Amino acid sequence: MARKSWHLNRRTFLRGTGVSLGLPWLECMPSVANEMSETPAVTPSRLCALYFGFGVSLPKEDSEEKQWRWFPNGEGREYELTETLMPLQRHREQMTILGGLSHPNGRKMGAHDTGDTFLTGAFLNNKMLRNTVSLDQVAAYSSPAQTRFSSLVMSTDGGVGEPTRSSTLSYDGQGRPIPALNQPKQIFDRFFGGGDSDSIAQGRRLKSASSMLDQVLEDSRDLRRQLGVQDQEKLDEYLASVRQIEQSVERSQRWLEVPRPELTDEERDLLDLDADDEAPLMYMRTMYDLIYLAYRTDSTRVATYQITNMADCSSLAAKFPQLEGFKDSLHSLAHGWNKPGGSESLGKWDRFMAEQLSYFLDRLSTTPEGDGTLLDRTLVLYGSSNSVTHNNTNYPLVLAGGSKLGLDHGRFLKFDAKIPMANLFVTMLSQMGIPCDNFADSTGSLSELVV
Amino acid sequence: MSNKQEASTRSIRSWLGSMMFVLTFIMGGGRLAGEESADWETRVRPILAKYCYGCHGPQHSESMVRLDQLSGNLLEDRAAVETWHEVLNAIDAAEMPPADEPQLNETELTTVTAQLREQLKRADAANQKTTGRVVMRRLNRLEYQNTMADLLGIDMDYARDLPPDAISSDGFTNNGQSLQMSAIQLEYYLANARRALDRAIVIEDAPKVVQQEWTESNLNQWLGNAVRSNRLERSQEFLATMKEDYPESGDFVIRVTLTAEIDEGQGYPLLEVSLGYRPDTQILMREFDLVEVRSTEEQTFEFRGRLEEYPLPVRGQGKYPGLVVRVRNRFDDRSPRPKEEKVDNKKVYPDEPHLASIDLKKVEFSGPVFEQWPPRSHTRILFESPLRQNDELAYATEVLSRFMKRAYRRPVSVDEVDTIVTFFKRVRPDFPTFEGAMIEALSLVLIRPEFLYMMEPSGDEKRPVNQWELASRLSYFLWSTMPDSGLVELAEQQKLADPKVLVEQVQRMLEDPRSDRFFSQFSEQWLQLKNMESVSIHPKLYPDFDERLRDDMKRESISFLKEMIDQNLAPDLFLQSDFAMVNGRLASHYGLEGVIGETFRRVELPSGSYRGGLLGQASFLMANSTGADSHAIRRAVWIRDRMLNDAPAPPPPDVPSLEESTPNFHELSVPQQLEVHRQKPSCANCHKNLDAWGIALENFDAVGKWRDEVRRLHRNQEVMLPVESKGELPKGIQLEGIGDLQDHLLLHERDAFVQSLVVRLLTYAMGRRLERADQEAVSTISNQVLQKDLGMRDLINELVLSRPFNTK
Repeated sequence: MARKSWHLNRRTFLRGTGVSLGLPWLECMPSVANEMSETPAVTPSRLCALYFGFGVSLPKEDSEEKQWRWFPNGEGREYELTETLMPLQRHREQMTILGGLSHPNGRKMGAHDTGDTFLTGAFLNNKMLRNTVSLDQVAAYSSPAQTRFSSLVMSTDGGVGEPTRSSTLSYDGQGRPIPALNQPKQIFDRFFGGGDSDSIAQGRRLKSASSMLDQVLEDSRDLRRQLGVQDQEKLDEYLASVRQIEQSVERSQRWLEVPRPELTDEERDLLDLDADDEAPLMYMRTMYDLIYLAYRTDSTRVATYQITNMADCSSLAAKFPQLEGFKDSLHSLAHGWNKPGGSESLGKWDRFMAEQLSYFLDRLSTTPEGDGTLLDRTLVLYGSSNSVTHNNTNYPLVLAGGSKLGLDHGRFLKFDAKIPMANLFVTMLSQMGIPCDNFADSTGSLSELVV
Repeated sequence: MSNKQEASTRSIRSWLGSMMFVLTFIMGGGRLAGEESADWETRVRPILAKYCYGCHGPQHSESMVRLDQLSGNLLEDRAAVETWHEVLNAIDAAEMPPADEPQLNETELTTVTAQLREQLKRADAANQKTTGRVVMRRLNRLEYQNTMADLLGIDMDYARDLPPDAISSDGFTNNGQSLQMSAIQLEYYLANARRALDRAIVIEDAPKVVQQEWTESNLNQWLGNAVRSNRLERSQEFLATMKEDYPESGDFVIRVTLTAEIDEGQGYPLLEVSLGYRPDTQILMREFDLVEVRSTEEQTFEFRGRLEEYPLPVRGQGKYPGLVVRVRNRFDDRSPRPKEEKVDNKKVYPDEPHLASIDLKKVEFSGPVFEQWPPRSHTRILFESPLRQNDELAYATEVLSRFMKRAYRRPVSVDEVDTIVTFFKRVRPDFPTFEGAMIEALSLVLIRPEFLYMMEPSGDEKRPVNQWELASRLSYFLWSTMPDSGLVELAEQQKLADPKVLVEQVQRMLEDPRSDRFFSQFSEQWLQLKNMESVSIHPKLYPDFDERLRDDMKRESISFLKEMIDQNLAPDLFLQSDFAMVNGRLASHYGLEGVIGETFRRVELPSGSYRGGLLGQASFLMANSTGADSHAIRRAVWIRDRMLNDAPAPPPPDVPSLEESTPNFHELSVPQQLEVHRQKPSCANCHKNLDAWGIALENFDAVGKWRDEVRRLHRNQEVMLPVESKGELPKGIQLEGIGDLQDHLLLHERDAFVQSLVVRLLTYAMGRRLERADQEAVSTISNQVLQKDLGMRDLINELVLSRPFNTK
């Protein structure tokens, strides 16, 4: 093949992602593909999206429990953090708190249904449950050759879940959910495990896998013809997956000769790969650590982590607060925010979550990279798709990192409630060097965020 | 209206119930055609407008039903059919319009219902041909695990890396629509196939077998600095290690020879054997299942596994202890532990004579073990044949066609085999050995849709399933795996579809231990046992609760279903029975005496015990609690949804908070709190047929223990309240306590329960949601059961013989 294997061929791209022409985000593509074609970027830009369900505690600014209001007091550079986000104080100059934003489509959806669309902005209703591509996957597809993995998709519950109660934040070009990994050990083995030490044997198998996939696609038309309409849809889902792994096989072939990254002893010691949903603090930190390590070793530049979701009693995260000594389950805490004492109860949990975020930012901001730190070239989006429970507006959002990607931090910005959150996505992608005029229902960008 | 009619109306409504949501919302405005629609517009619409649109129209859409925009063209709009059916039921049952609203007069009533009925009948007939189809269904994790193990004869963890399967909104993990495919899933299927085939097919010569024997521990420094012991109570450990000379792959066997000391009424020692350890990931050991030692005689227990499935040490890390066998006794009576003592700076645990103990005589390890070389897994795929030497390609073709027939669970065509052979030819030059290339070809078979999905090719018209499809349906229904040779033979001889043969096979399958998968899978999904894992039990309020008890609760429900089917008992006993299935721990949790040990068994209940039947089972009571207290509403919803298939509509988006407006809310009993709720008009409508179902169970706390007082924590103080278990269902039916509830269910809801059970079983058996086209089968089976007093086993027979089960 004359074409260098990491060149992003537009045809391959379309086939791989199964995108039908006309999706808005494709406007991002041509210029990227051109830029990509010669030199791989020497300066990485990374994206991390973190999500929690059911919103936050938002007592009124003049109430007795106002110190447990998630949003800060004041505005602009002069804002004051409440108790809730105090753990983030030390990262103040590396982050911006965003108020007022939400997805316009989300505002029209069921109260607990918006977790699915946090990174997509799509409209899901009971008749149309098909999502659209998520922010992270646009970023992932845009730098296909530079890392061993295109993205790291994680959640507490793992898999994809059911539409409107999904257990993943990430959706491919066709809006199909990408299963999230939830076992630290599996993630570790996938990203840092030794793999097959015999690279010749491995190469043989990669080549063979590639032939297998071709073979499956070759006779799929015959197979399809024997099926009824519903079965054809299922087969198409299968075939789309085949096309997608064709890409990852190609990618693995490229990375075959590159040894797996080495971790330091300290890094290994910090990990608790046995952590699971029975020990939430340990589990969350381990998951954050894995993202950090994936970035540190440049194994991927895109990660999503759905920390909790809105599936309520069927979610493994429902009991997280209780296991950490808080008084109620997640949903009950969220529901109780406006009961006496409830703001504090939920606020303390919000604070607990902020502490873990702060831990993650610590790790990124203390690891040097070039003339800055890992955090300087990483955009970390943290938030929920409810303000308070059942309310699909005014998402609580933190955007951290990316000083070297042109972000101007240190502020609390309140946006007009009409502004689509997708405008934020346009800005984020642009600052990552992915030219993008439009994402989902965006109406522009958020220039305030940029220096 | 008689009870029976009412029940059947309800159950029809209920499988639609959960769909309501899905269907009613966004319907195109009235697309109408033909005479019917003219009639509809001129005669029916005005009546609906007069009586219904007020609540189900432009201003309000109560329960998310909006009739003014619902299509009247039932032949074309399938979704509308479901809603109209619901409407008809509500009118028939005189539930709508509500009693305090103007009622339709006789003529109006007849016009609307007759029109609706006629239209629905036509729509039904049209739909019969196409709806209610089994969707091409991917094997779920468990089915994949079992199928791979049976197909390859290699027992290993195939599902480990696969993403968790989605649970459909009606609670099933084998729903074809919900089970999705993704690139990462496929990637792991391929990795699994190769990993397994690398083990099944051997290229090298027979490996050297390592044998070790220990009569005492040889590892004192690691894993806690303690004196090791051969006498094991809850604190001591026996540790044996192999430093250099241990195998890293293949099957191994550990034999443990021991005697035990067991006193009357003390319980039995619980033998735990583990192998490991891998220090770099902190996953130290992997344990075998616990074994109860029920005799004091000297005996030897054998544990078999595959070394690759265990956390093996990393060679060269000299400071670590090598491959370790650990033996412990996990029996614990939960009495306070005595203080450990120090001897020579090492921990020693004092003897505890009140605990059943184990005396280890000998521990042996050998591996890799094999009966023959190459192993059976190898020769089953790569069988002896003269072709092997003479004509590699012909041999490959032969191997593949045999393998594919098993993998695809049906005969395969020459063309199908050819596609794989073509692939084999393509990759053969890249591989140094025939076996190496063969593993690739076989892996290809294992990532193809014919293997990964239950495929029943057909157009859009319905057709009877063929013999092979029937064999697969049966096998995945009752065994969660591929058909065995017995089923395959019958399919081959075209005998399986014979009703007599079919019933015989069901009996055979239910008696086979593989049917345990059905018992546990169906119980878990029907009764939503998985939700138990999402409840965190309050450690202060329930200090005795532990994970083993949680597991016992789940096992009780599974054992109960098994007993019901094994003994062919009437489904009524799910509502109320005079026996329970318990082990020692659960019995003492329930306050039942005289049950000792881990094994679940049937225990006849003393009079006055309410533990017989589903409602007295801690699994459901606990899964539907807050972890600190009971949760009457969740329990009520569970009963109506899971037992009666009549799930109440979900709460409106923003449930108003009650506590704000009600001082001393925490001092109110649950019925009082709910009373506050019902005073709000927006809540009253749904809650009046909800609360009492759960309130009746207020005598059961968060872990399903009986209580006469409610303990509640308020600002860290325990508050005691009396139990109030009295509530009222619509029509003035008073229920107080579980006894009344059980009686009520038996007397008035028996039909609804049986229908509901049939619906759930059929849903599980088919791997899809039921539709209106299945209604006839559900009614027929239910009526059979009710009229002939059939037992659970008969019910399953009827189901397997039913039309949906035999139709694609």
